[in-house]
Amino acid sequence: MTIEEFTHQFERFKPQLKTYLLRMTANAHKTEDLVQDTWIRASSSLSSFKGESSLKTWVFSIASNLAKDDLRKRKRWPENATDICKEAALNNPDHFREALHLAETNNHAKFEIREHIAFCFLCIAKSLPLEQHLCLLLKEIHDFKLGEIAEILQTSVPQVKYHLHTARQKMIGIFDGRCALINQEGVCHQCTEINGIFNPEQNEQEALNRIKLFKESKKADKEHLFELRMKILKEIDPFQSGGHVLELHHLEHNRKVIEEYLKKGG
Amino acid sequence: MKCLTPLILLMTTISAHAQPGKASTVRKSFSRETTIVQTINADPSIVWSLLTNASDFARWNSTIISLQGNIETGEKIRLKSTLDPQRTFKLKIKVLVPERKLIWGDAMGSRTFTLEKKGITTHFTMSEKIGGLMFPLFANKIPSFDQSFEQFTTDLKKEAETISQSK
Repeated sequence: MTIEEFTHQFERFKPQLKTYLLRMTANAHKTEDLVQDTWIRASSSLSSFKGESSLKTWVFSIASNLAKDDLRKRKRWPENATDICKEAALNNPDHFREALHLAETNNHAKFEIREHIAFCFLCIAKSLPLEQHLCLLLKEIHDFKLGEIAEILQTSVPQVKYHLHTARQKMIGIFDGRCALINQEGVCHQCTEINGIFNPEQNEQEALNRIKLFKESKKADKEHLFELRMKILKEIDPFQSGGHVLELHHLEHNRKVIEEYLKKGG
Repeated sequence: MKCLTPLILLMTTISAHAQPGKASTVRKSFSRETTIVQTINADPSIVWSLLTNASDFARWNSTIISLQGNIETGEKIRLKSTLDPQRTFKLKIKVLVPERKLIWGDAMGSRTFTLEKKGITTHFTMSEKIGGLMFPLFANKIPSFDQSFEQFTTDLKKEAETISQSK
């Protein structure tokens, strides 16, 4: 395979790779760096690609290894990361002022509840152990097969199954306890609270009823609700969506807050 | 050696005939040992992961209220069990051979988990021996482990097989 052929194919799955890396690192700048590093590493070792797996699987494997090298040194986020970040945002008037300015001046900074559901998942999934987190992203969002995930993460299929099952159960448990969209007793209303700030004229109930996760929350089981949540994530490209500028702004805030929180031993 | 042979044969026979999923307890003057065996239709790596991920234990195992710490050789863990919910057992990881053997315990006793790959299944054994010179003084205050062992093993088999069958 020539560099040109490789680059052509790389560009086709680059948006997926960026989404994967962003949801893994919660850092847009680092994601851009990792995408470049992945291209450099892969293009300089093309001779070692034997075609035993797809090119995409091979490239995701390289990207995962690069990202894991950095992430292994860092602590995982707490399950209540979004609560910690909300408190920090409330104590920082500049944060909302900047966000409102973005929403008024940027065409890609429109607040959408669906996008915030994906954003919320990104933050909370970072509380999973790293291997569980990656298995979940690769299977549920990027549709890799179990054998391909085992190859990407250099582990066995039974281990992928273990990580995947455990991750799903944990996330289902966390959202069932926290998310007021699916459980009236849920403690977190952030998506609708923030929607009220950015879209004060909107009929919130109408907006919520357009979201299947909310509409089916009373009759569907927890597993199905989790699948609906995953469907929302699949449909949203965090670098291209209508509100991506705003969500990336929120993400930068949250990452800095959590890094500071973890540095202080939280 | 000659006189040990019948004893070894007897022990092998007991092990071979132990009813899967049914705990048995051997009581002696200075010790008590409860054992259970089960065939789990899952790869040992899945069973091993379930047994060594402390923070996830309480999710799938209804006999464990909480398990804190890291299950790594020499580490200490804090276990709360439904057998005695008021008490926190402070245990040490004494032996850890990945996907084969795990032993945790304190001065009074040890619990041993053994995994053996048999084709596409795992032969699981769990035993706990408690005892010592003072054992007769408090032997009747320690509840039977049989029911808890059976529940533990049922939960482990169910969770491991659910994972193994997932797609």
